[in-house]
Amino acid sequence: MTKLEIKDLHVKVKAEPEHPEILRGINLTINTGEIHALMGPNGNGKSTLAETIMGNPAYEVTQGDILIDGESILTKGVDERARAGLFLGMQYPAEINGVTNAEFIRAAINARRPKDDQIPIMQFLKQLDATMAQLKMPEDMADRYLNQGFSGGEKKRNEILQLMMIKPHFAMLDEIDSGLDIDALRIVAEGVNSMRGKDFGTMIITHYQRLLNYIVPDFVHILKDGEIIETGGADLAKELEKTGYEHLKVGDANA
Amino acid sequence: MPETLTLPNAPKIPLRRYLKAAKDETLVTPATVTAPSTVVVDHPDSVTMPATTDFDTWLNAKPQSITTIDIPAGFSSQEPIKLVGPQAGGGLIRVTIGENADVAFQERWTSTGKTLGIAVAIEIAAGATVNWLAYDAFNADTVLLQRTANLAADATLNMTVAGFSHNSGASLLTTNLNGDGSQATINVGVLASGKQHIGYATAVTNYGRKTVGHINQRGVITDKAHLVFNGIGHIVHGGRGSDAQQENRVLMLSEHARGDANPILLIDENDVTAGHAASVSRVDERQMYYLMSRGLSETVAKRLVIRGFLEAGLGDIQDAELKQELFETIDETLVNANA
Repeated sequence: MTKLEIKDLHVKVKAEPEHPEILRGINLTINTGEIHALMGPNGNGKSTLAETIMGNPAYEVTQGDILIDGESILTKGVDERARAGLFLGMQYPAEINGVTNAEFIRAAINARRPKDDQIPIMQFLKQLDATMAQLKMPEDMADRYLNQGFSGGEKKRNEILQLMMIKPHFAMLDEIDSGLDIDALRIVAEGVNSMRGKDFGTMIITHYQRLLNYIVPDFVHILKDGEIIETGGADLAKELEKTGYEHLKVGDANA
Repeated sequence: MPETLTLPNAPKIPLRRYLKAAKDETLVTPATVTAPSTVVVDHPDSVTMPATTDFDTWLNAKPQSITTIDIPAGFSSQEPIKLVGPQAGGGLIRVTIGENADVAFQERWTSTGKTLGIAVAIEIAAGATVNWLAYDAFNADTVLLQRTANLAADATLNMTVAGFSHNSGASLLTTNLNGDGSQATINVGVLASGKQHIGYATAVTNYGRKTVGHINQRGVITDKAHLVFNGIGHIVHGGRGSDAQQENRVLMLSEHARGDANPILLIDENDVTAGHAASVSRVDERQMYYLMSRGLSETVAKRLVIRGFLEAGLGDIQDAELKQELFETIDETLVNANA
């Protein structure tokens, strides 16, 4: 995978068909090797965009398309999209009892490999240990049940652990910085930075410039009222920190 | 069988109808028991079993086999005493556990037959601790079963029942906290499939003071199976300072599956704590989405969610081999049910 294209994307919540569209014509192209930041006020569609790209069945695409290397993925299920190289670091990861973290991550890696070429257990454990050490996660988190009883910060770190183990081509990170203290933020940012490279692209959703001091984006987009109203470089985020979103109006896009 | 029967409290389980069936009576090779030499195992011609209801009377009449196990006071071993039920029949099992013993006891049943009657009674003397694991994988048509535990003062029982049978019928798990300070945790994990119609009545009665009784039941239902969970926590008058808690949860995997979760709390004493929770639900969509967003297929994701759900009832099983076997059975059952 080298290119993710969002074309004129309109999205509704499936359960609320009478409500207006949350996304109203998003256009966005992200290549591997690029880091994009998506900012904007609460409740304007940032998470909806990430969830829709991933294929969350709660959302319905009413118009437009999502393409990977020119091929539409709209008819593909969530798991197919994941195996095609997409990853969503979620704002509220689900808790699953009875399934250990390690067992789950191994299953996720193996889901991408042919049946006769599953990852050898020792190789997997070595990788897992090294990555957990990098993220300064205590060893016992490998054997704890998936997100069960994890603190907010532990859940976020665990999302990044999965990201680093699964090595997707393209990751959307939805408020990966919320609930993190300053040390944890730096560790998580270092983790994401270690993924940087020509085979990895990412879209980081955040409210805070602070994260972007650690993960410097190539592009910053402002999403408001379901549309991208402005696009710029890393400086745009710094500017917003001073001015806020209030003065930005739909239709003012100068990108 | 008389017209007016005294039956245990087991709502939505058709005990009356079940007891009209003729119990299998052919004598069979009794259960085999693996235990250290200090444990006395016998197969006498008759045995005294608990007999308070007509259900007991039915179970106790003309048993197909009899096994008694006597574990001496002060016995202590984490190596489980293992009982394998008769291959082609039911019977009566009576276990006595001496004071301050520390015992692990495992039952395993795969018996065949038409209508099996099985009663297992365990007497736990003062201060003894018992980890009791029952793995039910019956292949009979109908099985009516009762496991009874009587606890003396300060005795502790941790019981896990893995219900992976294919039969219809009823399983009554009856625990009496007779002695002051005795405590019991009863975990039940059931996988119901096919056209199975099976009911559990899991009752813990707090007779003694400061007794603690916890019931935790988890059931997964596929195909056209019907599973009934009754949880009955009863604190009788005099059981001051006691605690009765229960949780009954059922997960339904198919449109034709039926599930009942009935929590019943009977409190005849003031100075006590008690609580219950019950639910009948389908597979959690959020959990499925999360797992699938990492690339797991729907089938694999579903198995993990279901395993996790049952784990809450079977979590106390330490035997890694048995646990693996249970997981494999879960997977196989789901493949067969196309769930």
